[in-house]
Amino acid sequence: MYITFVVYPTLELFQFSFMSWDGVSPTKLWVGLANYRELLFSEKIFWQSFKNTVFWAAITLFLNVFIGLVLASLIAEPIRGRVYFQLAYFLPVVQAGIVTAIIWRWMYQPDGVINSFLRTVGLGMLTRGWLGDFKLALPALAIAGSWMSLGVSIVIFSGGIQNIDPALYESAKVDGANRIQLFWYITIPSLRHVIATVLILTIIGSFKTFDIVWATTQGGPIRATELLATYMYKRGMLEVRYGYGCAVAVFLMIVVTLFSTLYLLQQREKV
Amino acid sequence: MRWNLIPVYVVLVITSALIVAPLVLTVFAALKSPEQFLYKPWIPPRPPVFENFVSAWYKARFNIYFKNSVIISTIDALAMISIATMAAYAFVFIRFPGSNLLLPLFLAGLMVPVTALILPLYAIMNSFDLINTHFGVILADLSLALPFFIFIGRAYFLSIPSELRDAARVDGAGEFRIFWNVMFPLAKPVIITTALLEFLWSWNDLLLRLVFLTKDSLRTLTVGLLFFQGLHTRDVGGNAAAALILAGPIIVLFLIFQRQFIQGLTKGAIK
Repeated sequence: MYITFVVYPTLELFQFSFMSWDGVSPTKLWVGLANYRELLFSEKIFWQSFKNTVFWAAITLFLNVFIGLVLASLIAEPIRGRVYFQLAYFLPVVQAGIVTAIIWRWMYQPDGVINSFLRTVGLGMLTRGWLGDFKLALPALAIAGSWMSLGVSIVIFSGGIQNIDPALYESAKVDGANRIQLFWYITIPSLRHVIATVLILTIIGSFKTFDIVWATTQGGPIRATELLATYMYKRGMLEVRYGYGCAVAVFLMIVVTLFSTLYLLQQREKV
Repeated sequence: MRWNLIPVYVVLVITSALIVAPLVLTVFAALKSPEQFLYKPWIPPRPPVFENFVSAWYKARFNIYFKNSVIISTIDALAMISIATMAAYAFVFIRFPGSNLLLPLFLAGLMVPVTALILPLYAIMNSFDLINTHFGVILADLSLALPFFIFIGRAYFLSIPSELRDAARVDGAGEFRIFWNVMFPLAKPVIITTALLEFLWSWNDLLLRLVFLTKDSLRTLTVGLLFFQGLHTRDVGGNAAAALILAGPIIVLFLIFQRQFIQGLTKGAIK
């Protein structure tokens, strides 16, 4: 079963990527590297969606690592109700991508939550159609993506913080370091490897993102939010350029496999 | 109460409120009638009305989608328990021909992104006439998630001392009895995690179901929701109610099994 539905399709994927095929008809045409040539050299949209995916990764990375680290180190303080905070941060993680998409589209709508809020607090001049704006649509959706993954980063960072030797903090406190200095000079350097883990996971997640974008902007406006996964779906399924879609998928697979390998190697090293 | 912790509490309360807010506002919106939308989104519904849920459930046929989701996800979870634990058990305790070859193959499967496989999977399903069958979706779900569950199951069985198995063997128990009477009860924590995560992933998946299920009567909640929100873009209350029909069961499960979900999803972040 595993061979049929995972190993075999992986091999098929590479094979199809050299073909021109509509997915159902019996005529498959061997076209060699033509799909790749088109992809890499003459198709601007492919590079646009690659750039968007990288940009998406950069934004979610910044939010997950920076906010994740700060929140994880605050949760590590001797506070009451830690469980409830953790629960709140993790709640979005179990949401379906499509649910996240619907919620956040409403947030960003011209008459949606964010604009209503801005008007109420007297910042009416800042209101806009967030997802209709060519420049803002991608970062806006990436924030929604980050909302869904921040909880995981916090848990990973919390695990890392627990492993830091408390003596380090004690001796620094004796030397008169404040909370921000502790964070900057002890927490961050001690968590180097954990930060790398979150980095890798966030990049993998970005390259697989489909639901949030597909259910909100479908890659628009004017391809501002086109990611590799939505691009592949459009070409491969909707325009039934099956071989070409597979070539995009091969590219996606190579990137993800590269980072997954890094992740597994890193996990092994730790153990 | 330590006074220097007050800023920590302030940051934690504000951030967790911000993160939960989109979900809370969605619940508010789902319980408001169209007339109540004259109010601002953060004002609770008064009185709460259930017409959005009723019309999504009956008119938009979410009762059918719900039933389909329950069928697919329950079978997925139950089947995954039996397949993954048996496979993991075999990999740890039984030397069978080819086991050295199969294990790396499965571990490699950890790195294969589902998004990239969707196109060849479609072709294979098509050749088996499994498009528009729940069976096809279930087969694909199981195969694609199997590597991860073998991975965590194997790690768990490795932690069980092999003396236990030897003792059972001395008592005259056969391989299957050892598995069923000794190991299966011992593996309860990992089995619960397997069932919960597989259910969650299956319940929340959109792409696979979007591609494989084109007949409306077979669709799951995720696909149903995608088309519903496409048709009723302006109906905020309706979208919110429809999204909550999908999210509700998952939120309840999460609140009951928070520890398992948080630990499992952190391990499974690579998926």
